[in-house]
Amino acid sequence: MTLTLDILLSGLVLGGMYALIAMGLTLQYGIARIMNLSYGEFLIAAAFGALFLFTGMAVNPILGLLLIVPASFAANWLLYRVVLTPLVKRAKNQGMLEVDSILGTFGVLFVIQGIMQVVFGGALQSYSYLSVPVRILGTTLAANRILALLFALVIGGLLYLLLTRTRFGTALRAIAVNPVAAQLSGIDIAAASGLAFAAGGAIVGAGGVLISMFLTFSAASGVIFTMKALIVVIMGGVGNMMGALVAGLLLGIAETAVARLVDPGLTIAVTYALFLGALLWRPTGLFGRPAR
Amino acid sequence: MIEISAISAFYGKHCALDGVSLTVQRGELVVILGANGAGKTTLLKAIGGLVPVAPGGRIAMAGKELTAVPAHDIVAAGVALVPEGRGIFGEMTVRENLLLGAYPARARKTEARNLELVLSLFPRLNERLRQTVRTMSGGEQQMVAIGRALMTAPDILLLDEPSLGLSPIMCKELFQSLGRIRDAGLGILLVEQNAKQSLKIADRGYLIESGRIVGAGTGAALSADPAVQRAYLGAG
Repeated sequence: MTLTLDILLSGLVLGGMYALIAMGLTLQYGIARIMNLSYGEFLIAAAFGALFLFTGMAVNPILGLLLIVPASFAANWLLYRVVLTPLVKRAKNQGMLEVDSILGTFGVLFVIQGIMQVVFGGALQSYSYLSVPVRILGTTLAANRILALLFALVIGGLLYLLLTRTRFGTALRAIAVNPVAAQLSGIDIAAASGLAFAAGGAIVGAGGVLISMFLTFSAASGVIFTMKALIVVIMGGVGNMMGALVAGLLLGIAETAVARLVDPGLTIAVTYALFLGALLWRPTGLFGRPAR
Repeated sequence: MIEISAISAFYGKHCALDGVSLTVQRGELVVILGANGAGKTTLLKAIGGLVPVAPGGRIAMAGKELTAVPAHDIVAAGVALVPEGRGIFGEMTVRENLLLGAYPARARKTEARNLELVLSLFPRLNERLRQTVRTMSGGEQQMVAIGRALMTAPDILLLDEPSLGLSPIMCKELFQSLGRIRDAGLGILLVEQNAKQSLKIADRGYLIESGRIVGAGTGAALSADPAVQRAYLGAG
């Protein structure tokens, strides 16, 4: 009983992080139509930012969000304007843009990773913030994990409200549904895509700060998060926020269960098994519609 | 109101539109008749900014230059296109589609009034505001498409084959609605295969063949023209 609860709670925290970063990726991929392979590097850069602020300047990570999230927004906006906009302009179709953006952001991945290696070194990093146990329903969970989950819920919830309850958010979803009709409704797709891409960057920045509070990371860990976010996005259906939430939580709980009950080395295998299952059973994602 | 002079458009080397000139005034319904592949759709797309206009042509709206302007700015200048295949957001509700129509700054001030106009033209949409558009019938989707375009508060409405795939009754209702939109003071440029019904309500018309305007006249004059009757009205 305690073990089940323990797995569920820990899985929920991990899954909440996956869901959050998947929401950011689905903004970048579903709306701005950029498959960003350097996505996880921004997460790690944000984690290093939080580490630096906490250990170097005694700024706690929650306050650090106020600095890092806008910085990540700006960096991603610049990446879109400077590196990706030329690719968007010259792409004759979606397939060409997909190939170009994958190759382009693959390069960006190594640039950011290289800079982080030089500045912070290659060692595993962590810091201790609020790592005090809290008793919940007979089991214990570190306070920093609970805080991270709470913030992930708040940020994810705000994003959901932005996308569904405001005209601008509706316009962003409209671009994902029908880009031509979006232009004909007077939506400036290039500008809106830049903002959607930047918003995705802000989300992954927040995810990086929250994850750094309880997980160890190194300059090379970015790709793991890109991969997991991508798997969650595909499982949940591209552009589908609810799908990202459910698939993210599912992945977090499944990974935690296997790590506790079988072997921690099997978590990656579980990730892929779930992914394969989803692809075979529902290729357009848990909440996706069949392709027309 | 909208003046199009000598515009051409190319797909690769293929010339789809060859020096077309025409005008549409406010409160006027102008129909363009032509066979499949004559360049009707290309013409509307070129005006709407979805297909580039070759150098030498010019599009102006009340004197304002609209040549080589991005599609969203053309909407902002008061020209709304309802493309063939409807140009709607199938995964979204009727309400969201109409809300998106009012996205341009020019449409915000009159949003409530435009919504009232759309719902009075298409009362059926009023009962279906929460329905996902994809699940609606072809005729209802066409109402959403025209409604979305009207929400952008246009002066000129461009319609590409709105009657395509509609039942005869729906078709009749649609043409009645177009007449009412014209009477509300909008200029309408209508591309149609249904020559009979469209000429009946049109103030003027143009004939287009292989990308060129080959004839023009009032709706009544075109209906009476033997060549038009042979080619488009199925007579003789």
